[in-house]
Amino acid sequence: MGFILVQFLTGLASASSLFLVAAGLTVIFGVTRVVNFAHGSLYMLGAYLGWTILSALPRDPAWFALGVVLTGAGVAAIGMTIETTLLRRIYKAPELLQLLATFGVVLIVQDVVLKVWGPDDLTLPRPRWMRAFVTIADQRVPVYDLLTIAIGPLMLLGLWLLFTRTRWGTLVRAATQDREMVAALGVDQRRLFTAVFALGAGLAGIGGALALPDGSANGQMDLTVITDAFVVVVVGGLGSLPGAFLASLTIALLQAFGIVLFPKITLVLVFIVMAVVLVLRPNGLLGRPLAAARGDANTPALVRAAVPALRWLGAAVLLLAALAPLFAGPFALSVLTEMAIAMLFAASLHAMMGPGGMVSFGHAAWFGLGAYGAAFAVKGLALSMPAALIIAPAGAALAALLFGGFVVRLSGVYLAMLTLAFAQIVWAIMFQAVSVTGGDNGILGVWPAAWATDPRTYYWLTLAICTAGVLLLRRILYAPFGYALRAARDSETRAAAIGLNAAWLRLAALVMAGAAAGLAGGLTAFAKGSVFPGYVSIGRSVDALLMVLLGGVQSMAGPVAGALVYTGLFDILLMVTDLWRLVLGLSIVALVLIFPQGIAGTVHRLWLRGREA
Amino acid sequence: MLNVADVHSYYGRAHILQGVSFALPAGAVMVLLGRNGAGKSTTMKTLIGIVRPAQGRIEFAGADIAGWDTHRIARAGLGYVPEERRIFTDLTVMENLEVGRQPARDNRPPWTPDRLFALFPNLGRMRNRTGGRMSGGEQQMLAIARTLMGNPRLLLLDEPSEGLAPVIVEEMANAILALKQEGVTVFLAEQNPHFAARVADRATVIEQGRIVWTGTMAALQADEAARSAYLAV
Repeated sequence: MGFILVQFLTGLASASSLFLVAAGLTVIFGVTRVVNFAHGSLYMLGAYLGWTILSALPRDPAWFALGVVLTGAGVAAIGMTIETTLLRRIYKAPELLQLLATFGVVLIVQDVVLKVWGPDDLTLPRPRWMRAFVTIADQRVPVYDLLTIAIGPLMLLGLWLLFTRTRWGTLVRAATQDREMVAALGVDQRRLFTAVFALGAGLAGIGGALALPDGSANGQMDLTVITDAFVVVVVGGLGSLPGAFLASLTIALLQAFGIVLFPKITLVLVFIVMAVVLVLRPNGLLGRPLAAARGDANTPALVRAAVPALRWLGAAVLLLAALAPLFAGPFALSVLTEMAIAMLFAASLHAMMGPGGMVSFGHAAWFGLGAYGAAFAVKGLALSMPAALIIAPAGAALAALLFGGFVVRLSGVYLAMLTLAFAQIVWAIMFQAVSVTGGDNGILGVWPAAWATDPRTYYWLTLAICTAGVLLLRRILYAPFGYALRAARDSETRAAAIGLNAAWLRLAALVMAGAAAGLAGGLTAFAKGSVFPGYVSIGRSVDALLMVLLGGVQSMAGPVAGALVYTGLFDILLMVTDLWRLVLGLSIVALVLIFPQGIAGTVHRLWLRGREA
Repeated sequence: MLNVADVHSYYGRAHILQGVSFALPAGAVMVLLGRNGAGKSTTMKTLIGIVRPAQGRIEFAGADIAGWDTHRIARAGLGYVPEERRIFTDLTVMENLEVGRQPARDNRPPWTPDRLFALFPNLGRMRNRTGGRMSGGEQQMLAIARTLMGNPRLLLLDEPSEGLAPVIVEEMANAILALKQEGVTVFLAEQNPHFAARVADRATVIEQGRIVWTGTMAALQADEAARSAYLAV
């Protein structure tokens, strides 16, 4: 009995910490409609800044409280800076570009933290009051846990009062619904947005500081926290504070008891919860269908065919790429192989995102399944490389078919989060099923067939397969199927009225994208000679998103350009600087500010303008 | 009060307003008439700054407001009631009014919820109802009341009678005439000629993005040729 109580209290304490981060994220999303990937980074900054401030203050409870509040204010100020210098300029840009910009901030913050606070985990000395226990039902319960438990509901109450009982809160709720109308009533929505962002950032900062006594400030917490926070926000329903609270409770308690009953399940438990909730309630526990916030320019992405000049440029690049092995060294060749694969990987995500209208945060799932499929085929089933390269896309496509039925019922961020959940489940399986997958050590010795061991031969093979794959995707997207898919994306009801089944079209697109990504994964397995859980990681999914978004979703050339630029930039940066994240992040932010339509979209526009003049 | 000179506006590449010019004297109720797609709503949106004019001057209360941010134009005393009403459906009547509240202006008594409920008695009976649970007519009245909370010098109404039952249209007309008594200048876009004739003392007609006729309402009613050229469907 006492043990259950302790687990329960532990669960409540972690629910409070979860809620603090999720509350900020959901408030920011509700008002600005920006999916703020940098929210975990603000939490991390809270932890580091909190460490600096709290280490300098006397170690008694009153000073601790003051330090936490100061940290919150500091992170709020950082949030305000991010909002005014970056986000404010891109509220009218497509949603995905905003997402890209916040990715850039994540990268920048990672390097800044590393430079300022160093690579070591930072822990706070725990004074006596922090280590104190109270005895409840013969069990020792940390006082600090009880404090944390109280903070969650208090914060919910405070926020609720702020949003329902003050003029400011009323304005914020109005802006959530129709920001243009709020402006027409004389309210400066820019200041409102800045304040909301600062509030959300401050909450994240407080969350980070409060987590210090039970953990540490470390460089990995941003991505862990953002994933958890997203799950909470999505499970609760986007923009709903009570929903976020309920979801925090549900997830934290399930986590607290799940860890006792099935220790292995913890890595996937939250994602299983999310998948179940989204399947049963597509808008989260307390969420409502999202009407597009009025007053932003969310034009659906057109998908344009390349202009003739661009085709000639593409043909020239391809010719150059085909001739590359005649003069390129081994390193350049491996980079080129990577680029060819990235091109297919990005094009597969683009097929889903652009014409399909389904943004995926977990595209690495298909890539990883392809890679592991190919590895099993040669290592487990002793099949040949060509057979493995057929199994890779086929396996990924099969998984996409099975899983797709759940995905295609959702839309927008919910859909994206369900793909993330699926990717995390796949990742956890690869990571934990050590006897089959080798766990973190992966599967080694996945080498190409004897005839393709020469890197040049393998490169030519990869280039041929990837180019053919991209062209095939293009062909399909410009066939009647592609037009039907875009019709279903732009208006499901109108598409239904002319006899199109949107769900089937999306499922077919998902399977197609899954197969192409799986093929890219299979090719990577042989190129590297090994597969690791990292192939299914969030980072890999983010790579794909960055490539597509950098290139621009509006054109078929976009993902190809994005893949080449991103892979090239990445490899060059890795060579010349150890601050590659900072440089990459700044480049992304700069690119978003300069090319709000993506590289290919902007070039296309300039091209059109040039022709008109 | 308002002086518009050679204003051009675009939606993307579509050239909607092609040189709109007119003047609106203080205290008047002026109606903007024109066929569907002539540019009535775009004129309204351009005045409030939701659509930014590409060129031209919009003089209001002694300043050229062309190109200003929407909220700044609103604070200068231009009140805008959009065609689709755009009530905050999650907010109650009282909260909707609170969003519109701005400081008093020109030493005139500010609008308060109580004064507005005297003007629109229906609203007073549903103070705590959320906007989403109101009828179209009630929403239209709330939209006007909400904008009046900003104590505007000039009220822009985009098709206030659209989609309303005749009884409600009559109530709306009375409300606008009452506002005129209060000294509020009103500029409204309309498709309903009877409603326009009932409330307006001046009229201006827009056709393909240009003003083609301006004068008193009585003169327009007498000018059969103009009406059949610009307004007959």
